[in-house]
This record gives sequence, structure tokens and C-alpha cells, in this order.
Amino acid sequence: MNDKIVEVNELTRNFGEFAAVDNITFEVTKGEIFGFLGANGAGKTTAMRILCGLLAPSSGTATVCGYDVASQSEQIKLNIGYMSQKFSLFNDLSVWDNISFYAGIYRMSTAQIKQAGHQILQELELGKYKHRLVSSLPLGWKQKLAFAIAIIHKPQLVFLDEPTGGVDPITRRAFWDMIYRAAAENITVFVTTHYLDEAEYCDRISIMVKGKIGAIGTPQELKEQFRVQSIYDVILALARGEEQ
Amino acid sequence: MKNFLVFVHKELLHIIRDPKSLMIMILLPLIEILLFGFVLRFEINSANIAVYDIAKQELSTQLIHRLEGGKRFKITVANSMPEAENLLIAGKVKAVLCIGEDFEQKAREGRESSLQLLLDASDPNIASTIETYISATLADFWADSIVSAPAPLLKVEPLLYYNPLLKSVYVTIPGLISVVLMLICALMTSISLTRENETGTMKVLLISPLKPLQIIIGKLVPYLMVSMVNVGIILTLAFTVFQMPLAGSLIMLILVSLLYSLCALALGFLISTRAKTQQLAMMISLAGLMLPTTMLSGMIYPIKNMPLWLQGITMFMPARWFVNILKHIMLKASPFSAYADDVAILLLMTATLTLLSLKSFKIRFK
Repeated sequence: MNDKIVEVNELTRNFGEFAAVDNITFEVTKGEIFGFLGANGAGKTTAMRILCGLLAPSSGTATVCGYDVASQSEQIKLNIGYMSQKFSLFNDLSVWDNISFYAGIYRMSTAQIKQAGHQILQELELGKYKHRLVSSLPLGWKQKLAFAIAIIHKPQLVFLDEPTGGVDPITRRAFWDMIYRAAAENITVFVTTHYLDEAEYCDRISIMVKGKIGAIGTPQELKEQFRVQSIYDVILALARGEEQ
Repeated sequence: MKNFLVFVHKELLHIIRDPKSLMIMILLPLIEILLFGFVLRFEINSANIAVYDIAKQELSTQLIHRLEGGKRFKITVANSMPEAENLLIAGKVKAVLCIGEDFEQKAREGRESSLQLLLDASDPNIASTIETYISATLADFWADSIVSAPAPLLKVEPLLYYNPLLKSVYVTIPGLISVVLMLICALMTSISLTRENETGTMKVLLISPLKPLQIIIGKLVPYLMVSMVNVGIILTLAFTVFQMPLAGSLIMLILVSLLYSLCALALGFLISTRAKTQQLAMMISLAGLMLPTTMLSGMIYPIKNMPLWLQGITMFMPARWFVNILKHIMLKASPFSAYADDVAILLLMTATLTLLSLKSFKIRFK
């Protein structure tokens, strides 16, 4: 049985002359937490949009959950979850409205929505705030709620696009506990981040540099490969290599 | 289908939970219709006019009584021409009617007898309206008068069809429906769609199993519902407060309103695919749609009076065709064939706008 949930093979995406994603090949294994790193403009977002079925590749192939991104994006969409830096909640709707809306568009039944929704409220201790508008919640709570909602339909894979942007370290740590719990429930996590301490929390990371994969492996492997002490130094080494 | 209904439900929640936009959507049409209905009038109620009756005979006195009786004029009697003119210059009266001394005599002999009418034309609309009223009153007066003598040989006899009382509400209400629907449909949808882009929720929606077309239709349906409610409110007011007639079919009226709303929704959608922010969407909708709809639909200013190039532009205003259809249905009870062309143009516009916006919606995400 194939234990790869994402398989990317010589994937390229051009915008005019510019190759935002330039011939990348990598795999993500089921159940792992995969960190997708790279400077702004390195092509992370483009690669992620292709994997989510929002953007067609110029050449090469990619499969997500066993489905081809170019031809089977409908099936992919049913099997993935997505959360962005902006948390993607509707501020003018209540906590419960947001939960039941997202669960509903993932075609969950009313009974399932009720059950899963109450579980979220319980886990996040949001029971009292069920009918509060999301806009009135503190940032950290919104972030947790957004994540819980992104995986409410138990997807095989969840994409987190800089999910901890603008959040304090303690809250970020608590958020990562949620990520670990999701991974323990066999949800593969594909996460982009600019926080290098978070990179260390990942099972494996890849670092994109100018549209290519500059390095890929477990954090330990990368440090050994570049003979440095931290992921920060790995990225510096990559950047220097690029300059030379 | 279920996830589509969930989406529509969410959109309705947005509308209901946001008291401000709900107010705009329900109250604004109400205020507009009352304002336009009561203020934007071209007919005149009790205009002050001065009469200088030189003749002071039976026939001229009767004429003055007739003018007074119509409730449209408040008559001031002047005893000399300078006095009458001074009233006009001072702005106390809008017109002076001077009845010559041979008025009755000439009338009895069947000769052409003339009256002099001085008009304050600083407000041309009022001046020409007064002139129309006085001419109409005179025509009536001749017809009923005891004078058996034939009136002047060549007599223009205006016979007013469809709007015999020349009520301007009959013209403004159809125009108003077009403005309000444009406001609700185009403005509100363009704002709501760009908001979804701005907050990043659009991306999440596109990644979800919802199909792009479902997202778009799901966005438009609630506003279509709101606009139908508005059509209901406006028509109820039109029929009750302003006693507007409905000569043709109500079903047809609702159907074309639906078509026009769809056209406006497509416009709003197109704006949202081009505008990056809510503010921009609002500016484009207000300046680019509201004003031209008001000015160029033929609602206030007759299209025939516009310079040719502007007349050309009105061809591209959906409201122009819609207002025309409304007049056919509400005032004239014309058969469908009379306004089939206008309906076809609206259909064509709606289809073109929908295709255009779908195209730029796709470009944006592909």
C-alpha cells in the first residue's frame, strides 16, 4: 500500500517568463508533520496552491491523497483541510455559525455537525461563547477555532499556511499541541511557517529557494548535512550558497 | 446541493446579522421612494399667478373663476399692468395673465382673441408647466363656455394618454425601481464578494468542495431575494401612497424586475472581480452605476433632449430599457411585442455581463 499522501514529480509552474515553482520533486508520508519553509517569494504559496487544486501546473505531476492535482481537484478538495494566516473565519458570524457553515460545505450531516461541533466547543472550552461573534474572540482563540474547523471533516491532509502569524510564543506553543493531536489522529499536516523554532517541531522539513527545493529531510538530518547547530544556520547556509 | 444551501444560509446570516447593511437595503429604498415621490415632482400645486383683467366682463370673470377653481393656481388680481409686472419681478407670482378689453367681443364674433401670458422663466420647468396648465384650462373653458361661437378654426386639442393628469410620480416610480434594484444588487453583491476576498475566506471557500459556480450563485441568491422584497415594498408604496396604476400584468412586472435584478447582480459580480477592496467596489458601484442610472435612464431627464453622444451611452444602461418596459407594463398595458426588444436587450446584457465576470473570476484564480 502506498503510504505517500503527497507525491510531487518535476513540478513546474510558470507565470510568463518567471518560474515560480521550478522543477520540484518531493514526497510527504501519511501521518507526518511536514514543514514547508522558504523566504517570501520562494514559491511556497504557488506550490501550495497547486497542491490544493487552485492552480494548474505548467508541467510535471503531483498527486494529493492519491488524486491528480490537474484532473481530480474535486476529489482532492473533499479530502483536505485548509487554514490560512488570516484564520478564514467569518467575523460577523457566531462561533457556532462558523462551525456549522464549514462542516456543512464539507457535506457533513446535521447529526455529524452537531456531534463534531460540540466536541470542538468542549475541547476549546468555548461552550459559553457558542453564540458570540467571532470578532469578539481573542486572536489565540480564533486561531485554535480556525484550526479545529479546518479539520472538522477529518481530512487526510491539512494545509496550514503560516497559521501562527502574529501570535505570541505561548499561544503558538499551545497551537502546536493541537497540531500534534491532529497528527496523532492520523491527519497529515503540511505547514508553512517563518518561525524557525516551529521548523524544529516538524517531522521533516523542506526549504524552498527561488522556486527549487534547497534542502529536504528531518531537522536533525539537515543540521548534520550542513554541519550547523540550528535550522536558522541551515537557512543562512542555503542563502549564502545562493549568493555564491 | 446541501452544501450549496448551507452557503446560501450563511449569506443570509451575513445580511441579517449586519444591521447596517440591512438598514441600507430596506430603509434606503423606502426613504428614496418617499423622497423622490414627494419631492421630485414636475407638476405644480397652487402656483401664484396674477391676473390683470382689462375687460372685466362676464366672460373674463368666468375665466378667472375657472382658473381659481382648478386649485392649481392662487390668483392675485392686479389693477394695472405695471402692478402685475411688479408682482412678477418681486417673485410673488410666477406668471401674469392679461385679458384684453375686446376679449369677450372677439370671442362672440368668433374671431381670434388672444390673451397675454407673462412667465417667470428663471425656472423653465415651472414656466412651461404653468403654460401647459393655463392652455389646458383655456381649452376646457372654451369647450364648456356659454359662448356658442366657434373657437378658432385650427385648434390643437391635446389628448393625454396613459398619464392624463401628467403626474410625475408615474415617471419617477419606474425610474426609482431601477435605481433601488441597481443599488441593492450591484452595490451590495460587489461589496460582499470583495469582502470575502479581503478577509481571505474566498480562498478557503475555493479550496472547499464548493464549486466556484455554487459560490457565485450562493452569493447572488440572497441579494436577489432581498431585491424582490424591495420590489414588493416599492410597488406597495407606489400603488397605495402614490396611487400608481398597474395597467398590465403583475406577473410580467415581477418577471422583468427579476431579469433586471439578475443583470445588476452580474454587474456587481463583475465589479467584484476587478476591485481589490471593498472601498473601491463601493466607489465604482456608486459613482459608476448609481449616478448614470439616475441620470441616464430617462427617469428624470428625457433621453431625447440629450446630446447624441450621450444618447449613445444611454444604450448601455440596463436601466434605460428596464424603465421603458416598466412604463409599458404599468401605464400602457402594452402587449409583450411592444417591449420584446427591450427585454431581449436586457437578456443580452445579462448574459454578456455574466460571461465577462465568470471569465475574470476564473483568471483571478487560475
